[in-house]
Amino acid sequence: LSGARRVFDALEGGLAPLAGSWPRLAFSGAGAVGRLRNWLSRRWPSPEQVQTLFPRQGVDPVRPLVRAGADFGALRPPLVLGFFHVGAVQALGVAVERLPGPVLVLRQGSIHTPRPPVRVESTEGDGQRRAASFRRALDHLAEGGFVVMALDIVPGPGFRVPCLGRSIELARGPFALARIAGAPMRPLVARWQGGGVAAEAGEVIAAEAMPDREAWEEALAAEAARWLERYLLESPAELGLGLLRSLLADGFRTDGGS
Amino acid sequence: MTSGAVENEVRDLLRSRAPLARGRDLLPDDLRLGPGGLGLDSISLVELLLECERRFGLRGVAGLLEGPPLTVGLLIAHLRTSAGR
Repeated sequence: LSGARRVFDALEGGLAPLAGSWPRLAFSGAGAVGRLRNWLSRRWPSPEQVQTLFPRQGVDPVRPLVRAGADFGALRPPLVLGFFHVGAVQALGVAVERLPGPVLVLRQGSIHTPRPPVRVESTEGDGQRRAASFRRALDHLAEGGFVVMALDIVPGPGFRVPCLGRSIELARGPFALARIAGAPMRPLVARWQGGGVAAEAGEVIAAEAMPDREAWEEALAAEAARWLERYLLESPAELGLGLLRSLLADGFRTDGGS
Repeated sequence: MTSGAVENEVRDLLRSRAPLARGRDLLPDDLRLGPGGLGLDSISLVELLLECERRFGLRGVAGLLEGPPLTVGLLIAHLRTSAGR
């Protein structure tokens, strides 16, 4: 087994230098090698393997492969774009460069240097630092920008909502941001398709306004989880290991969750 | 608005928004608004400061988040100064 692992490591290592000049060939090759490796080993590639495969090049090799959907150009700020860790989530950093307006990405740390019109704001730190980031995101929306943030990473308060017969925890922040700013929210996804990455925005996530602020946000979170459920039922291969683990960590619902 | 009125209104606002403040007669100046004090989370902190902006007709109160850890005294002092201008 260790011999087979070394062969695959060597194959993947050999693809890394190609990524800068021939990204389509390198990523297609990586996909083929990865599929074979997974089929043989029946295990998932880890983020560490992805880092090993294309070290130091960040998202640059991905840039020419990303196709933003036709609806991207029609999106109008202020808009909150929430994403889940499904599909080619690493390519979203490139996809949001195609949005027609200033973009603020809220994330824990930064994996690459953003290009205009994208600015990255870290959400790391204590409650007050996160609150400061949240306030800057509100200002960005008020000035007519896009805010992009993960729905399924919960650094602060969150909601546990039904999904795929189990439940997942979603961050309260994106839903509170949409409510306070009065901005619509849409989901954002990217998937590998035909040797490239296709990114698209889903339909608006909406819930009837309620006097109880948190209840309204939780209703929005439940709608987002329903959107994710529909997406994964249509495209089950997009489910990643992190989200799968999160779902499996929760017991089956017995109260009618689908 | 007098400085005493500002102080009373802020303390009432804190009691209405922070569950840990409700049963307390005294909210000392050095009491933190976030963890280790009144326990307001990031979203509640922002909403509190936006509410202060609305009530006192001020802008930029939420900018206090960029400074040192927020306490009851810091918030009251900022609002007293800003509202008195």
